[in-house]
Amino acid sequence: MSELSAEQVTKRFAGLTALDGVSLTVQPGEVHGLIGPNGSGKTTLLNMLSGFYQVDEGSVRVGGEDLSSATVQRRAQLGIARTFQKPRLLGSQTVLENAMLGGWRDRSAGLLQTAFGFPKVRADQRMLRERAGDLLAGLGLGHALNRRANLLEHAEQRFLEIARALALRPRFILLDEPAGGLTGAEIERLGSVIRTLRDCGIGVLLVEHHTEFVFGISDRVTALNLGRTLRHGTATEVRHDPEVIRVYLGA
Amino acid sequence: MAFVIVLATLPWWARDQYQLHLAALIAVYWILVAGLNLVVGFTGQLSIGHVGLLAIGAYAFAILAGRFEWSPWLSLAASGAIGGVCGLLLGLPSLRLPGFYFAMATMAFALIVAELTLALGGLTGGGVGLSVPGFAAPFDTPSGFYGLLLIVAILITWITWNVSRFPWGRALVAIRDNPVAAESVGVPVFRMKLAVFVLSGITAGLSGALFASLQSYITPDTFVFELGLFFFVCIIIGGRGSIIGPLVGTAILTALPELVAPLAKLGNLFYGLLLLAVVLLVPEGIGRLFEMSLARLRPERAVSHVLEPDKDRLAAAIRKGQTQ
Repeated sequence: MSELSAEQVTKRFAGLTALDGVSLTVQPGEVHGLIGPNGSGKTTLLNMLSGFYQVDEGSVRVGGEDLSSATVQRRAQLGIARTFQKPRLLGSQTVLENAMLGGWRDRSAGLLQTAFGFPKVRADQRMLRERAGDLLAGLGLGHALNRRANLLEHAEQRFLEIARALALRPRFILLDEPAGGLTGAEIERLGSVIRTLRDCGIGVLLVEHHTEFVFGISDRVTALNLGRTLRHGTATEVRHDPEVIRVYLGA
Repeated sequence: MAFVIVLATLPWWARDQYQLHLAALIAVYWILVAGLNLVVGFTGQLSIGHVGLLAIGAYAFAILAGRFEWSPWLSLAASGAIGGVCGLLLGLPSLRLPGFYFAMATMAFALIVAELTLALGGLTGGGVGLSVPGFAAPFDTPSGFYGLLLIVAILITWITWNVSRFPWGRALVAIRDNPVAAESVGVPVFRMKLAVFVLSGITAGLSGALFASLQSYITPDTFVFELGLFFFVCIIIGGRGSIIGPLVGTAILTALPELVAPLAKLGNLFYGLLLLAVVLLVPEGIGRLFEMSLARLRPERAVSHVLEPDKDRLAAAIRKGQTQ
């Protein structure tokens, strides 16, 4: 089975080395936690996996295919979905429409077929609407399908972003601080959602500040510091690593 | 629907030829604005230079149907095609530019076209202009030609409505409101901007051909740069992401200064004041006013709701996708 991997990737911004030879793999059906202090390169690594940044050295692969110079769109086509630190939704569109956008890669009608309302485009529309509706119901947003996205509460926005990412039918989903701004109860529900994704065989990369949450849910954890890998291993190993405790967790 | 019936029967109850001409002008402008609306209102690309494409369509029609005596139908189709090709040539280099620079590029394009219509006198008649042939019966009378315009306008409206309500429309709005999110789900941002821009070039070319035929004589002065701004303002006043809004905007902005004499004296001042009023009072445009009054008819109950995911249902939904 194929895995998503970053191999010895390095990224520099105007002389500042944000990532320095970091490697990481996400297997299908596992939750891989990525932790580290601010500025340690977590989001940079996520952006390199999803294609928003290009690697300076090293490579990004999925199932052996080199994606290092592939566009964001190409990676989405291959089933790599993501969410954002600050939810990026279409505020003027409904919840259902936002989730439907995620299924873009499965539509089959082009502009001309759309313009003349071919049966194909209607089939696309039905298929996307059904898929988005199912996912939203599963995520607990079934009551808000026709609400404008900018009227949602914060936790609902986070879950809607996950619905949009899932509508892509991802093999891998990269979550950028999904617990940010959620209450304790909401974080528990997020945890149950993430476990469900894993149980369905999706590989989850979880970038998160909330360390208790990460250790509680991750199969493996990578801790970064100053752009380098501090420790990599099971949640228990990383949690009790003296270096990780010194740099990040505090005594 | 009632609106369409009123428009269709206009030739029978319009009080004079002038009102009919005005209605024809609205239809011609709308054919361009409808296509431009997909670019500006849905995709958020601020083109202020579509008057250049209008002029190209108009001159193409006048030259092909007039000088080369092609059939008007063939010339009309060719004008649309030429508009599309020019849209492609303009969009290819400029649609990668950020908003402000893109607007400037379209402005430069309109100014260049205006200069060329003067400079290429051998082809365009220079400052003297060209007379433009009409269409054959039954479209050779004012009401017959109005009927033709109405058919084209309805067809174009239907096409843009289709583009806006299916997956393409959502992707365009995503490009406008959140290009990063659009990319993250695989929307090919540049290619879609270009495709829609080419479509708007085709409608501008068609509009130009019909406009030329309606005016029956064109000179470079017919295509002043202000006309490009006028199209743009129709959409801003009408509201982004709406079709009915810009349609009403086009009708009001075309008809009001002509029907209400004191407004005509104000000229551009009228447009300026209207634009200012809309931007300050209803920044989302008059299309939003329609939506809001509709929403008042169907009030949404504010239900406080606990966000409670259903694991099994979620898993079923994901697994269903995996088998597709």
